[in-house]
Amino acid sequence: MLLNYLTIAWKVLLRHPFYTFITLFGISLTLTVLMLLTAFLDHAIGAHYPETRRDRTLYVERMSLEDSAQTRSTNGPLSFRFLSQYTKNLSQAEQVTVFSTTRRSSAFSGTQRIMVDIRFTDVPFWQVAQFAFLEGRPYNAQDLASNRSVVVITDGFKRAYFGSNTDSVVGQPVTIENVRYTVVGVVRGVPPTRLFTTSDLYFPYTTPKSNYQSSGWRGDYQAMLLARTAADRPRLKAEFQGRMAQVPMPVVQYGFKYNIMTVYSEPFLDNYLNAILNGNSGLRYTFLGLLTFLVLMLVGLPAVNLVSLNVGRMLERASEIGVRKAFGAPVRSLLWQFIIENIFVTLLGGVIALLLTSMLLLLINQSGWIPYADLTINGLVFLVSLLIALLFGLLSGVLPALRMARLNIISALRAS
Amino acid sequence: MIRHLITLIWNKKKAHTLLIVEMTASFLVLFGLSSLIIYNLGNYRQPLGFTYDRVWAINLGNNEDTVDVAAKTEAIRQRLQTYPGIEVVSRMSDNSPFSAYYNSSSVARGRTQIQAQYYTADEQFAQVLSIPLRAGRWYRNVDSVGRYQPVIINRAAQAQLFGTDDAVGKFLSPDTDSKPGWRVVGVIDRFKGRGEFSVDEPLMIELLNHRNQDHRTLLVRVKPGADASLEAQLVRDLTAMVNGWSVDVSYLSESRRSRLQFTLIPMLIASVVSGFLLINVALGLFGVLNVSITRRRGEIGLRRALGATTAHVSWQIVGEMWVLATFALVIGLLVAGQFPLLNAFGLRAGVYLLAMATSSLIVYALVTVCALYPSRQAATIQPAVALHDD
Repeated sequence: MLLNYLTIAWKVLLRHPFYTFITLFGISLTLTVLMLLTAFLDHAIGAHYPETRRDRTLYVERMSLEDSAQTRSTNGPLSFRFLSQYTKNLSQAEQVTVFSTTRRSSAFSGTQRIMVDIRFTDVPFWQVAQFAFLEGRPYNAQDLASNRSVVVITDGFKRAYFGSNTDSVVGQPVTIENVRYTVVGVVRGVPPTRLFTTSDLYFPYTTPKSNYQSSGWRGDYQAMLLARTAADRPRLKAEFQGRMAQVPMPVVQYGFKYNIMTVYSEPFLDNYLNAILNGNSGLRYTFLGLLTFLVLMLVGLPAVNLVSLNVGRMLERASEIGVRKAFGAPVRSLLWQFIIENIFVTLLGGVIALLLTSMLLLLINQSGWIPYADLTINGLVFLVSLLIALLFGLLSGVLPALRMARLNIISALRAS
Repeated sequence: MIRHLITLIWNKKKAHTLLIVEMTASFLVLFGLSSLIIYNLGNYRQPLGFTYDRVWAINLGNNEDTVDVAAKTEAIRQRLQTYPGIEVVSRMSDNSPFSAYYNSSSVARGRTQIQAQYYTADEQFAQVLSIPLRAGRWYRNVDSVGRYQPVIINRAAQAQLFGTDDAVGKFLSPDTDSKPGWRVVGVIDRFKGRGEFSVDEPLMIELLNHRNQDHRTLLVRVKPGADASLEAQLVRDLTAMVNGWSVDVSYLSESRRSRLQFTLIPMLIASVVSGFLLINVALGLFGVLNVSITRRRGEIGLRRALGATTAHVSWQIVGEMWVLATFALVIGLLVAGQFPLLNAFGLRAGVYLLAMATSSLIVYALVTVCALYPSRQAATIQPAVALHDD
């Protein structure tokens, strides 16, 4: 029987190839766009290499300083001095790392110029962020204590600087800004969208030009605080905020005196959401309005269109329903036929979408558009959107069919 | 005929509400996108006002060294002039062409005060970037001894401050209440330092004071054929000259490309969004037309029986959709019309009007394309078959 229904569904689809194409196109396009979007979102905010412990991590991203008259303010990353003084000995934290933001620099290999990002970090950086070491090891406390000029590089930089056929480069020299550094480790590269961990070269913070001894509280450094468990995170945050309240004020920065200091340690996403949601109301409403618009557009519109396409397809089948009823088919079996037919169409759209999305993601990952991109299909999102499509399919296809099945035979037969 | 179509659609306005809302929304998104594109294209068509090939920007970072910063920067500038591979060197403020930095200052003449883009650069600036002069002369480093600091302004600033008067030799002050501090020595056409897509806004270039330690960007124009080995040598020599400083060399041609992306990426995202919307409108139209043609088989059959040709039937379906699109556009234009009326975002009204026309055309074209196939389908309905049931 099932096979029979599927055959009928297939024949019905073939009867109007144009509308079949439109329906399938609508379903698969919507699913593809939803999956691409969530793949990007997940890439940006999910816990991925090397920040796999985002659920336990608090990020200290910026500080803002304001004078008492609120006429002057400065806002941005913090200084190494401030962070190491106030965050290193938090009792609720398993590990704390202080690291600089990235800075552009260039390396030269023969007549070739390689533009690189460089970052200065402390030793716990390599424990808080879970890097995959392809060769060698991270720098350790001994390296810093003996002031060795060492560097950890990415596989991408290794290829660009040493050429692709080199075996191991641990112990080899790399010259940056006229200083020779020894490679101690090679890590798998990080996509530039992971702002806290991406770079091409990682240096110990004691390296010259890292500005770690700068006075003042603003600077180029940020911190990640790792709680012991995800449940411990609020306690760590409370401890950090308590510590910040004890910082003596005022402070002189860039020649001006500031009385009000604001520093937060936040989970990854909150860092950005809070900036929007606690900002001025205009920004908040714009953001929420845009979000509503996007959801309406992405889910609402296609759903409504799917409904009208389905209704059209069902209307044409009034006579078929009439004939089947005339030959004694019960309402239940008619209903099953249309349910199976709709599931069939939706699944067909789903399969196309899955193929399309994997192809597009493969293309994006391989194109080098985002270096080291690791976009993947989110299975949950796929299932949920497939379910939504099914629900609308059933609502729009089965309900009219049910109504027609309840009609008496004569009017159903007449309707066409 | 048209009145008849309007009546037909008006009577079924409830059934078509959704479609009208969809078309209005996509019209508005299209309007936004085309305003953006038309505005940016208009800016793009104005020349940059300078050349950037073979020009490198060298940013010096003094890091933790605070001793004699200005003197060391000056020594580096003089050292750079001695390289055989370098044609000209100019020292300027950190807002070098295509960089992320933007400096502005208020400038006043009499009771007129404007906000102008503000560059500080020495006398070689015009040579490095080959900026043509329109009136007056370019300042010389020796001009700094005078009572007034010499400045160059562009024509946009001249128009706003002096109207049609000659600007050369006139004085300018930081705001309407203070005494004049600048003297205009020359006028240039334009200098769009923030890239092709930026607006040609008023700007002022002031002679750089060599003792100022904040201006640590050097622009060099290299000889043809210079490559990364010259750059490597520069970085090696300069870092050896000043201990603890960082030297960052960027090619203006590369900075330009990354600056272009700042404008192109939002346009790309907006295009994808409106593309998705348009596809959805198309799908919605197909669905609605399919339903209505199935429902109206009797009506169409009757028209055919009374002598309407297939072309008549086709045109009726297409015409109905045009009327529907017009309803949506009237609502959309009412909203879009507020932008030029309120002078939103400071864009010229012409940009908005052109954007409205373009988006309306696209909506009509879309509707026509979507209605063609279903209308042909309707035209093939045989009166005998359609009327058979009734």
